[in-house]
Amino acid sequence: MAVAVSGLGAVGSFGCGASALAEALRASRLRASEVDRTAGYHLPESARTAALVDAADVSPWVPAALGRRMSPPSKLAVAAARMALDEAGSAPGLTEVVLATAFGPSSFTERLLRGILAEGPEAASPFLFTECVANAPAAQVAIVCQARGPNVTVTQREAGPLLAMGRAAADVASGSVERALAGAVDEAAPIVHAVLDRFGALSRPGAEGGEAARPFDRRRSGFVMGEGAAVAVLEDEAAARARGARVLARVRAWGSAFDPSASRVSWGRGHEPLAAALGRMLERAGLRTRDLDLVVSGASGSRAGDRLEAHTLRAAWQGEPLPPVVAPKAVTAEYGGGLLAAAVLAAAGAQFGPTPGFESFDPDLRVIPHAGGPLRAPRRVLVTSLAAGGAAAWLVLERP
Amino acid sequence: MASEPPARRRVVVTGVGAVSACGWGVPALWAGLRSGRTSISAFTRFDHTRHRTHVAGEAPAGPPADFARGRGWPRLSLADRFALFSAREALAQAGLEPPLGERAAGVFFGSSTGGMLESEWYVADLMRPGTRERRGLMASQQINAPGDAVARALGVTGPVQTLSSACASGALALAAALAAVRAGDVEIALAGGADSLCQVTYAGFNALRAVDEVPCRPFRSGRAGMSVGEGAGVLVLEALEHARARGATPLAEVCGAGSSCDASHMTAPLPDGTGAALAIRRALDDAGLPPAAIGFVNAHGTGTPLNDASEFAGLEGALGARAREIPLTATKATVGHLLGSSGALEAVATVLCLREREVHPTPGDGEVDPGIAVRLVTGAPLPAPDARAALSTSLAFGGSNVALVLGRWD
Repeated sequence: MAVAVSGLGAVGSFGCGASALAEALRASRLRASEVDRTAGYHLPESARTAALVDAADVSPWVPAALGRRMSPPSKLAVAAARMALDEAGSAPGLTEVVLATAFGPSSFTERLLRGILAEGPEAASPFLFTECVANAPAAQVAIVCQARGPNVTVTQREAGPLLAMGRAAADVASGSVERALAGAVDEAAPIVHAVLDRFGALSRPGAEGGEAARPFDRRRSGFVMGEGAAVAVLEDEAAARARGARVLARVRAWGSAFDPSASRVSWGRGHEPLAAALGRMLERAGLRTRDLDLVVSGASGSRAGDRLEAHTLRAAWQGEPLPPVVAPKAVTAEYGGGLLAAAVLAAAGAQFGPTPGFESFDPDLRVIPHAGGPLRAPRRVLVTSLAAGGAAAWLVLERP
Repeated sequence: MASEPPARRRVVVTGVGAVSACGWGVPALWAGLRSGRTSISAFTRFDHTRHRTHVAGEAPAGPPADFARGRGWPRLSLADRFALFSAREALAQAGLEPPLGERAAGVFFGSSTGGMLESEWYVADLMRPGTRERRGLMASQQINAPGDAVARALGVTGPVQTLSSACASGALALAAALAAVRAGDVEIALAGGADSLCQVTYAGFNALRAVDEVPCRPFRSGRAGMSVGEGAGVLVLEALEHARARGATPLAEVCGAGSSCDASHMTAPLPDGTGAALAIRRALDDAGLPPAAIGFVNAHGTGTPLNDASEFAGLEGALGARAREIPLTATKATVGHLLGSSGALEAVATVLCLREREVHPTPGDGEVDPGIAVRLVTGAPLPAPDARAALSTSLAFGGSNVALVLGRWD
């Protein structure tokens, strides 16, 4: 059974909807805003910005009455799911929800914890607790969309979104569910922003070239944190076409691996085993690297992460030239599903502008991301995401 | 002519490991479960003076002195330690030696809070200006930290994923591991979960008035809520042919898994149990077994008035009148609710029951609730020589339901 993407919803700093993301990717525009640093978690020299969602943007999909009992990421996920289902059109059957989140509803968790620590456990709010569990967004999507199939939340940092998509594709392909809502959601809570900064993960104003996401660039100094949600509708391609739904992409292959050389908070140096795992995934799908004509890379501007990504790609291609590489996190920032949504758009033929932030070649990485100009509509797209901590995940999407 | 689909790979359990309020290791768990006495009691993990309740299923100090802790042990969170100890115990029973990098192995884990206990200490420091930052406390903060710690320590290079669907996480991890072995993605899967006690969950469940002031009493009259616990459960799942080829002894078979969502409410289950029933039916279908094949049930059995009633309604919906005949036990009455790892630990308990041919009792004061027609195992272990398969259920916050069917291996 071929697994089709028949709907896509996306929310991010770029706005609401896949078309808003497509326009941001074409225009190479990252919209970042000042993060609230008033709680005192940030260091004086810390990163200042994140790609934040304008909360008012989601109100058409999550009216105030509906969102009243939801955490910020629950609202984002519900909005993206509704957009995706609208595009896919109605389809009966058992619907699975598989959402990834790196940090869960962290603003609610922080409020709950801060209250407990400052005022005592008697102050704990049952509402905050209910909505601070990592699976709150997936559960709210199920409630709003009446999805009674398996309900799964994947928490595997940057690899989570592709793992979620792979899991959903496998379940649709096996026939165990008829339809899946697969995607990712995260919020850029100030405390998480501050902690990532303290661990050196974020680009700071004092870095060479200033605070910016610079995937594959020699001057990259960390990523810019983002927030948002992306949800794709996955189903049997034949069923989607029979209904007259537009097929945006086909999920051809999925796979994952782990690099045990990684520390708990960063990336390792195990590019050779990762490249071998990527090769095995392709082989199982009857593909070779020469069958891939675009890479949608999870590179984010991280020093160690982009290094591992570049070395893994070059090892997988075994000296052959890489196809064009796009790095959408330069536009969507890190977390919130932007990579996944951009990958679906890429498979559907979206155009990408020059990679923002890339100006200086890194002779260690030897990857030059897309510099602008027309991209030939790809037949197959490799999507990559290597996580801090060691996990890695890949997808191959096909143009239908 | 259409070709026959390839035969599905059978998946067996070749090792189990556990940490719980009963102690570090499976022998301590099994002794505690058989005893009929609860291990839920007063605890010291954090100052709970101002909390509404004062009992929990706290793991004793550990690990045992003869456990090889390894170089990075002091930096691990408590949940990471539970996970790694259990994984090493399970691997040893399976006769496998790390590193596992050459063995097509993966890790499938569940957790609700990962390193939240240590994160609480870190945030408390941040709230006190001038306190020296202890950054290491946050390094295992992520929910995926225990699963990653296992993979890193054991040299795993295959798929590693952590699922966090509240109390269903551990069971979902087992279901994901089952799917991965069946699909040939891995030959060996370490499936499990780990969570530690922390203030956020303890205060949160108390705020919901979901915690009993005394050790939880699943399916009893007068039950008034759950008891929070901590620990880990890990199972080594393996393709049968792979286990046979290396001379390993299967302990049990993972016959099937099914899941569903109530899609109704964030905290309250559907009173008629239709969501749970759908998961159970899907698990039985997946296993290719009728309700009559189920010899006993290891219930989610939290001890909240609503959950136990709803769960039994789900069992009746899926198993019919047979639900009233099948012996049912609730591991949480002994060790508390291990949240994201409860499904994994209860799968370990179910494997032990199948293997030892007896169903462990469910401690708790008071009579069995006359409003629920459940055949609760109480007092002493119930001999179950004819039980060839068992059902283990996990029903979570957010309506995520999972049922596992485990089979005895002779």
